[in-house]
Amino acid sequence: MLKRSRILVVAALCALAGPVLAQPKTISLWHPFTLETDMIYGGIKAFNESQSEYRIDPRIVPGPQMDSELIKAIASGSVPDLVTLDNPVVASFSAQGTLTDLTDRISKSTTIKPDVYFKGPWASGLWKQRIFAVPRDANTLALCYNADMFKAKGLDPDKPPKTWTELLDAAKALKDPAKNVYGFGFSAVQAEEGVFQFLPFLHQAGGAIDKLDAPEATEALTFWADMVKDGIASRDVINQRQYEVTNTFMAGNAAMVMCGPWELPRLQKEAKFEWRLALLPVKAGKDIAASSLGGYDWVVPKGAKNADGAFRFIEFMSDPKILNEGWKTGRLAPRTDVTVTDPLWPQAYGIYRKQLESARARGPHPQWPEISRAIQIAMQEAITGTKPANTALADAARKIKPILAKTPL
Amino acid sequence: MPGSPSALLYVFLALPILYLIGFVGFPIAYNLMMSVQEVNLGNITEFIRPFVGLDNYRTVLADESFQKVLVNTLVFVGCNVVAQVGIGLAVALFFAQDFPGAGFMRGLLLCSWMLPALVVGALWKWIFATEYGVANYVLQALHLTGSPIHWLSDPSVALTSVTLANIWFGMPFSMILIAAALTAIPKEHYEAASLDGAGSAARFWYITLPALRPALLAVACLVTIYTMRAFDLIFAMTQGGPLDASNVLPLLSYQFSFKQFDFGVGSAMGSFAFLIVFGVALLYVRTLKHEEPAI
Repeated sequence: MLKRSRILVVAALCALAGPVLAQPKTISLWHPFTLETDMIYGGIKAFNESQSEYRIDPRIVPGPQMDSELIKAIASGSVPDLVTLDNPVVASFSAQGTLTDLTDRISKSTTIKPDVYFKGPWASGLWKQRIFAVPRDANTLALCYNADMFKAKGLDPDKPPKTWTELLDAAKALKDPAKNVYGFGFSAVQAEEGVFQFLPFLHQAGGAIDKLDAPEATEALTFWADMVKDGIASRDVINQRQYEVTNTFMAGNAAMVMCGPWELPRLQKEAKFEWRLALLPVKAGKDIAASSLGGYDWVVPKGAKNADGAFRFIEFMSDPKILNEGWKTGRLAPRTDVTVTDPLWPQAYGIYRKQLESARARGPHPQWPEISRAIQIAMQEAITGTKPANTALADAARKIKPILAKTPL
Repeated sequence: MPGSPSALLYVFLALPILYLIGFVGFPIAYNLMMSVQEVNLGNITEFIRPFVGLDNYRTVLADESFQKVLVNTLVFVGCNVVAQVGIGLAVALFFAQDFPGAGFMRGLLLCSWMLPALVVGALWKWIFATEYGVANYVLQALHLTGSPIHWLSDPSVALTSVTLANIWFGMPFSMILIAAALTAIPKEHYEAASLDGAGSAARFWYITLPALRPALLAVACLVTIYTMRAFDLIFAMTQGGPLDASNVLPLLSYQFSFKQFDFGVGSAMGSFAFLIVFGVALLYVRTLKHEEPAI
């Protein structure tokens, strides 16, 4: 009897609460971030608690599979509401009309103002003057070096190399074949990552993607190839992904490496020596500061059931307060109006923040993957000695030319 | 009377046929269709796409990397079949000897085959690392090589490295199939042969090998089919690099479809791979038909 009346009470309460507590709409979100300290986790929790209209339903999709998973979703017609995409591939998706145009929503938004964003990250979301993506974070490459090894070899760790020549001299001094130590490490793998690491050198030399057959490009690639030939960098660079380059650095097999800020949590945990960051060196005489721009963009696939809710979450995550949390996992804010006060790894933060100013976006170009592949092949040909750098690059230029003739950069 | 059993017969016949049409026939037909169309991210949801005839096939045949990768694939598959069947046979014969722990250790060998290919790939990438890999360490410690071998970063060695890793990975499977066939050979044949004065070499040559012939053929076909699909192991070890030196057809087809977003060309490559596998599968079915009970 008592039981029944309780049920009645509960039922009555439910009936009263019903109209108020309508089922929240689910927003499916795909992202590749596995570190629990990533800002996305705090953001999802805060967003879900801040309102009752929408609920984020996150799913982790490993970074390398994100493109193919999204393609499958598009092909089968059931897409997630929100995806974080690596920024150079966004143009491939937006140019083919597979993403929701966010231009009108952004023009009404009070948080997302195009002019507060760094140019590079913002450009990655544009296609034909329409906005298809909002940058979530930004990253770039800087030089990471082992200060203990500098001291051991009589180099001043307070004066990291500033030019290509100084980089080469330092690397020569630091290499120690008897101990399996290379002077310098980078990733020249046959994948987008390799191009990401090569472009800073190309631009520092004064080269450009649409002028790969020019002598500047050859200088840049020769600089890399010679380091491998002379044993200053490992021949394995052509098979090492970026995290593996960092592994060789942490294991003490490389004294200096190209390194992105996302590696900082790992460096802090696993590197048993004093490591520091420095701006990428420039080429004396040219003095062009340059690095690559990486990062993730928020996109809403076309056909998303809850595009409005997805955009609400993008706005929520673009708030400087949330973006401030990004640095905890080495994610820089893509906005100029966010400065992390009292950051973790202050020395590294200063360097990456400064380097970001000279970071250049890849593309945006719908056929960026094809351009990238041509560069990857040239890199590998020159480094393995299959072809001289200038011939390899001339071949790449020949492949890229018709692509750029159709759609210029 | 004749009506009722045949109705049931059609039901039983329809089930596998529907399954084959749905899960095998449709993907093959769909792939063929995509290979004669221009397919990009924008029209991938539609069925009606621009027809380009055999353009994709022409692109594939003219592609430098395809020619290299086709040769790679044939070498990779050929070496794998010979080595996996050969070593598998040797190991199976070894464990067929009567010694303590033979069965246990034979089972233990299967462990490598049970590991996910990505894990095996990561493992071998580690073993083959130039500076800190155990392969170079052992070779140098034994003074078999002076300078370290660039297992995965030398274009002339990379295919050998992934082949070695794949042989290690797949061999236990061949071994266990051959071991099963070995147990089916009646012991009396060996006893009779021994009485007639046949040595171990003669017994192997005149009894074991003829009795195993159908099984070996079947295993060779299966290994060919499995190796033609090799993807994850190579993906984890080299991603097909350097310069496609260790790339194989399935991986190249994946790269064209999902990295370059050129689905038509990727499908055309898939068709070539399909033709090869289909040929071998036909051979396999034929050997199964001709397979007779041992001797």
